[in-house]
Amino acid sequence: MAVDTSAIGKTTGAWKVTVERGPVSTFAAALQDTNAVYRDANAARDAGFEHIPAPPTFTFALQFWGAFTEDQPTDPTGGQNPMHQIMGDLFAKGALVLHGEQEFEYHRPVEVGDVLVGEGRIKDLYEKETDSAHMTFVVMQTEWKDADTGAPVVTEQFNLIARLKK
Amino acid sequence: MSPTTSTSAPPRFADLAVGDAAPPLVIENLSRTHFVRYAGASGDFNPMHHDDTIAASVGNPSVFGHGMLTAGLMARVVKDWLGPEAIRKINVRFAKQVWPGETLTFTARVTGREAAELEGGLVELELAATNQDGEQKLTGTATAAVI
Repeated sequence: MAVDTSAIGKTTGAWKVTVERGPVSTFAAALQDTNAVYRDANAARDAGFEHIPAPPTFTFALQFWGAFTEDQPTDPTGGQNPMHQIMGDLFAKGALVLHGEQEFEYHRPVEVGDVLVGEGRIKDLYEKETDSAHMTFVVMQTEWKDADTGAPVVTEQFNLIARLKK
Repeated sequence: MSPTTSTSAPPRFADLAVGDAAPPLVIENLSRTHFVRYAGASGDFNPMHHDDTIAASVGNPSVFGHGMLTAGLMARVVKDWLGPEAIRKINVRFAKQVWPGETLTFTARVTGREAAELEGGLVELELAATNQDGEQKLTGTATAAVI
């Protein structure tokens, strides 16, 4: 079984998202983060932000909260997300799919009021054999940019592992 | 549950040395309510994190926490210590599942520092989340900018 490495570099989707205050405060509360910068615009300004900032891992949830239907670009995958195809095939064979690793690189703070555009692509795809399992690793990268200026905001990397027992 | 948030001023770059550690964040007795709250806040309604019947049907003893809940708490240690704007990069590796009833301790330790040209600099950090029995749930690294 060999994974089709021609998927490396292919896009997995494109989104336009809006960062809103309610979701940011709700997300901080779910992490029991009582820092006032997430709930009080004055505290955020006192801390040097222009608006209420998002907690560091918030962009992982941005597509859930802020991808309004009328804002969305045409699906660049044409409905054929290559990651879903690869993982779907492995899942159908009985593989256990795990979130192995996650990375965020911040080029500037994410704040309430930001409108960001993101594009995801498959950065790497490789396999490892162990005595008991066949492992497929998919590394996806999403670049979030400022929708107005095009300046980079956050680069996310998301590693999925599909573990298929031998 | 004893959430801790640093209210003191963050340390300055000149005062940070390799080996220095952040005040640890301890989350006691992680519960299904924490998982459900994170599910609602993140939109991740994978039933493995809130439905014991479905989690058990594939061999789990119970529901388990979202990796990104552990990751979010891990990031908190750095920002609670060095400030909400300090993190430049964070990378976490999920080692083990997190179960209801566990107490997690999140730690960060300085492994390197690089002065900026004018003021402050970057610190490299080693991250870990460990349960009450010393089992590592998550490991990682971060880069933070400190004045």
